[in-house]
Amino acid sequence: MHNATHENKSMADNVVLKIDDLSIAFGGLKAVDALTFDIKEKEIFGLIGPNGAGKTTAFNCITQFYKPDRGIVQFRTNKGEVENLVGKKPHEIIRKGLVRTFQNVELIRELSVIDNVLVGSHIEFHASVLSQIFKLPKARKEEAKFRQQAEEVLRYMGLYDIKDQLVAGQPYGVLKKIELARTLMCEPKLIILDEPAAGLNDSETLALTAIIREIRDKYNCAILLVEHDMRFVTDLCDRICAISFGKLLAVGTPQEIQANEQVQTAYLGKGDE
Amino acid sequence: MNKQENKQAVKVKSNSPYKQYLLFGLLLLLIPALVKMGVIKYSFLTIIASILIYAIVALGVNLLVGYSGLVSLGTAGFMGMGTYLAAYFTSDLNLPFEISLVISVAVPMIIGVLTGLVSLRIEGYYLAIATLAISEILRKVFVEFDVVTNGFSGKDADYPKLLGTFELNRDSTFMLIVVILVAVMFITHNFINSYTGRALSTMRGSEAAAQAMGINIYRYRLLSFAVAVGYAALGGVLYIHFIKYTYPNAWTLLFSLNMLAVIIIGGVRSIPGTILGSFIVFGVPDLILKNLPVIGEIDGLAYVFNGVLIIIVILLYPAGLIQFWHNLKMKIAKGRKGKEGNNA
Repeated sequence: MHNATHENKSMADNVVLKIDDLSIAFGGLKAVDALTFDIKEKEIFGLIGPNGAGKTTAFNCITQFYKPDRGIVQFRTNKGEVENLVGKKPHEIIRKGLVRTFQNVELIRELSVIDNVLVGSHIEFHASVLSQIFKLPKARKEEAKFRQQAEEVLRYMGLYDIKDQLVAGQPYGVLKKIELARTLMCEPKLIILDEPAAGLNDSETLALTAIIREIRDKYNCAILLVEHDMRFVTDLCDRICAISFGKLLAVGTPQEIQANEQVQTAYLGKGDE
Repeated sequence: MNKQENKQAVKVKSNSPYKQYLLFGLLLLLIPALVKMGVIKYSFLTIIASILIYAIVALGVNLLVGYSGLVSLGTAGFMGMGTYLAAYFTSDLNLPFEISLVISVAVPMIIGVLTGLVSLRIEGYYLAIATLAISEILRKVFVEFDVVTNGFSGKDADYPKLLGTFELNRDSTFMLIVVILVAVMFITHNFINSYTGRALSTMRGSEAAAQAMGINIYRYRLLSFAVAVGYAALGGVLYIHFIKYTYPNAWTLLFSLNMLAVIIIGGVRSIPGTILGSFIVFGVPDLILKNLPVIGEIDGLAYVFNGVLIIIVILLYPAGLIQFWHNLKMKIAKGRKGKEGNNA
């Protein structure tokens, strides 16, 4: 935290997230090694790399699920201030305007679809426990307000008809959508998506590309995503960061990344090694 | 999650159950009259009252286990503490029932929070160990601290005197218990359907999701544990004012385990299921089995009954016996739909 203050000035006005020298090791394995890149406001930014390159670990370091050994994660919060996220608790991160999804879909099976989405606005609720158990006007008003907002989000995502069904038993593609809907409840500045297209078929992936673009425009936020599907990433992203064995290979536009020799080597391997 | 793809999507009932709770309460209020008319045995009123008191305590346990994913083995200790405090405040200090009630619930809650502050920081499972220890310590205190607790001989209290004027008798105390049970059912229903309830369910289902959505797991674990302890202590206060007697060996680990049996047999994450479970675990042995010829003579029958029942329920009805009722309702609904379809 101590180095946040003097680093603040180095972050350009249009940058929402800047990670610098981010490193974490598990035992002897450097999962993320001196990773540095930044994301501009309203940018769709892709993080790619072969299996085990450290993409999800990098996400976990940014969202503070893991404590990085080194480096800083500067974030322009929804209040417009620049803060270093390193050292904050995982549950404090969403309050800054940074929200994420998970590779393995983390939804609550026993709750309905709309209740799962409502969990996304947890930080916006303020009614006291007493107000909630006696259903006093404040709690009731708050609940109604966010339930309506959740309904709007669900309608937008095409999930309105199943809003009262349990999450348990929904198909995988729907689960992915519900998780995405949940991130839209907290007026995010940056949404982090961990393999949003995994397990989706071609038409679903195509639809997802459109949805993510729309979300960026509608919610005025930046999007950082990890994905294996190269076509999906090159179609969607403004810029891409390629990593391998935790190390940065290249950052650039999809065309630049595709043409990059190092990236090709990492993905396809080289004959002589 | 892929495995569930083929399962049919289940619709959640969203209509509020207040009317059912009220109806249930009204039916219970008839019991003292039925006893007077001789339809129900005199001793059954005591058994049913204990079942209802245990149901209140079990609702707290269900909140903890079913909604928050925590296990407490200290229910007995905290409920016992409620009985002793209420007995001491009303019998020895002559405090009004209402004030005694508030203190007797608040003090165990404070001790519960202190226990939680230490044990919940690490992992959810540590709460089970810590509460087991606290409960045994409390039981030792019930024995040793005889200035207040009267040691092994136990402690007496009277039926409550409301607002310092209305002295209740056996029947009206029973009614008070019914009213409080229904109130607790209402409150619990509201609680689990609030944003706090969703937060509890979320941290039970996925700690990662809870943290990512800004839910402070430590805080919510503490909250749900404090509420569960509060319910246990409230049950204790009602217990001492109806049974009128408490002694150390009533509050052993076995009692806490029985509370877990109530929600497993009745229905985890279900308010009606909890009530049903309380009736089965505490009622069936006393009300039915003991009155059967031959079987009724066996010592420790209740333990055998509960043990066997838990195994059967876990194997066949993992969501508890309340599932019976839900299945029945679904069948009726389907039957109706089928008929409508035929008519059209």
